[in-house]
Amino acid sequence: MDTKLDMFDDNISASSQLEGDMSIPGARKNTTQIGAPDFNTLDEPIKETFLRDVRAVGVKFYHVLYPKEKSSLLRDWDLWGPLVLCTFLATVLQGSSGEVNDGGPEFAQVFVIVWIGAAIVTLNSKLLGGNISFFQSVCVLGYCLTPVAIALIVCRVILLSTQTKLTFFLRLLTTMLGFIWATYASFIFLGESQPPNRKPLAVYPIFLFFFVISWLVISHN
Amino acid sequence: MQSAGTDDLLQFRDYNSTPSTSSPPAQINVNSPTHSGGSGSGNNALNELIYDMSNSAGILSGSNAAGDGGNINTSATTAGSGADGGGAGAGNKVSFLTFEYYQQFFNVDTSVVLERIVNAVVPMRASKNYLRFDIGENPDLYGPFWITVTLIFSIAIGGNIASYLQHADDNYQWRYNFHLVSYAATSIFIYANFVPILFWALFKYTLKPVTDEEPVESANYTPSLLSLMCLYGYSLFVYIPFSVLWLIQISIVQWVFVIISFCLSGLSMMHVLTPATRNSKISQLLIFGILLSQSLLAVCFMFYFFHMPNSPVSTATESAAIEEVIKTAKLVVTPPVVAGNIAPANGTR
Repeated sequence: MDTKLDMFDDNISASSQLEGDMSIPGARKNTTQIGAPDFNTLDEPIKETFLRDVRAVGVKFYHVLYPKEKSSLLRDWDLWGPLVLCTFLATVLQGSSGEVNDGGPEFAQVFVIVWIGAAIVTLNSKLLGGNISFFQSVCVLGYCLTPVAIALIVCRVILLSTQTKLTFFLRLLTTMLGFIWATYASFIFLGESQPPNRKPLAVYPIFLFFFVISWLVISHN
Repeated sequence: MQSAGTDDLLQFRDYNSTPSTSSPPAQINVNSPTHSGGSGSGNNALNELIYDMSNSAGILSGSNAAGDGGNINTSATTAGSGADGGGAGAGNKVSFLTFEYYQQFFNVDTSVVLERIVNAVVPMRASKNYLRFDIGENPDLYGPFWITVTLIFSIAIGGNIASYLQHADDNYQWRYNFHLVSYAATSIFIYANFVPILFWALFKYTLKPVTDEEPVESANYTPSLLSLMCLYGYSLFVYIPFSVLWLIQISIVQWVFVIISFCLSGLSMMHVLTPATRNSKISQLLIFGILLSQSLLAVCFMFYFFHMPNSPVSTATESAAIEEVIKTAKLVVTPPVVAGNIAPANGTR
């Protein structure tokens, strides 16, 4: 086959277009890297992209409520769930500035307590020698607010009726249940990453963090 | 360097021991339960925790078994919460811009923390050399930081419950006061930080000059700033159970609790600090100052957060008189900033 230099020849018509495939050889492996989609995400509809992330967040919520398998929260951490939960908590818990009867926390105060509290608890466990990355721990703590948020919703519903001692007791019970659930779930996720002699030292701040937030929930009226 | 021969390669080499004798020797803790694999359910982790806590509670007089610093994740460059230590480190010359620098202030195990808490509450329990050789060698910031945070929240929550109980009989629509958290936080952090600084300066600058009559080895010893902060932080622990007990709305009982808490914390602190005050020129004044600051803290807690006014007239005069005493005493002992902080807070009551 003889070669000829056929550059910029006017004889080349539109039919001989240049086409090719921009795929990297061997990209379609069965075991892909974590987090990297093995398909071309540029061409898919936006709904697909959006739903994929929503599904990931939803899976994490499910794993917090039924803590059996823990790798999804730790490996594929994200901060969407904590952001949604924190905004929801802060919106419901804030005391309105106009009313005389409400000395509740401001929106910013709840926000600060949740995020700075999670950061301080994480820093504490890292300073004690813990074996977890910063954002994984913040992610776990944020997602474990789910039971507390559920307790807040239930309390809000209870508050719609007239207030008696019984309703107060019901609210107290719900909040305590949410608090214990949250602490237990976070302990399952974070328990093994703490150094062995210092587990109680690392667990106590987590307990305190959820206790304070549960206190905000129960005292909201 | 010796030439490399096979004899050399087969010999054991001596490594130089670390020059810093102040850091605790490295230990491998063979008692810790082994971790189960990744398939371990939550039960294993829970059992480990229970085992650990019962273990540490049983070893209250445990030695200073500090494990090694653990896995250091150097990608984190944020300053740790132990940053307010500032001064003397534990002998390792690490830059304060690294994460490891702050890890040395958290080098404590559960048993050590529990031991320090009990020493701060039970008055004569600590040994004579406690300040110098126990806290002085390994001052930690874990205890002070988390005890102050717990105390802030327990005082704020207790104050809210107390005000609810005080108005339980009226038809008063109870108002939840979140600002108590801010007031409690301000006053407790000022106490836990500025009072140790003040005493550290007093210790340091009123040191008795060393005479040749009795050359005592510890004559020049003044406690480091970190040791004092550690000590003050742990001494605050006694107020946490009392913040629950102060909810009882009987005035006599509240005063009794003030006296008990002051006695416990004041006596234990005095017992620990007395060896260090002997080196100072104004030792009597220092001891008095220590006791005074503890008592003021107890009284202020009780009054501002928990006290129920019995009747308007008697408590007005009583509280006004106490305010005067507190104000003058505060100007003597603590910086005027504190009086400025407490006074407007009382005005909103």
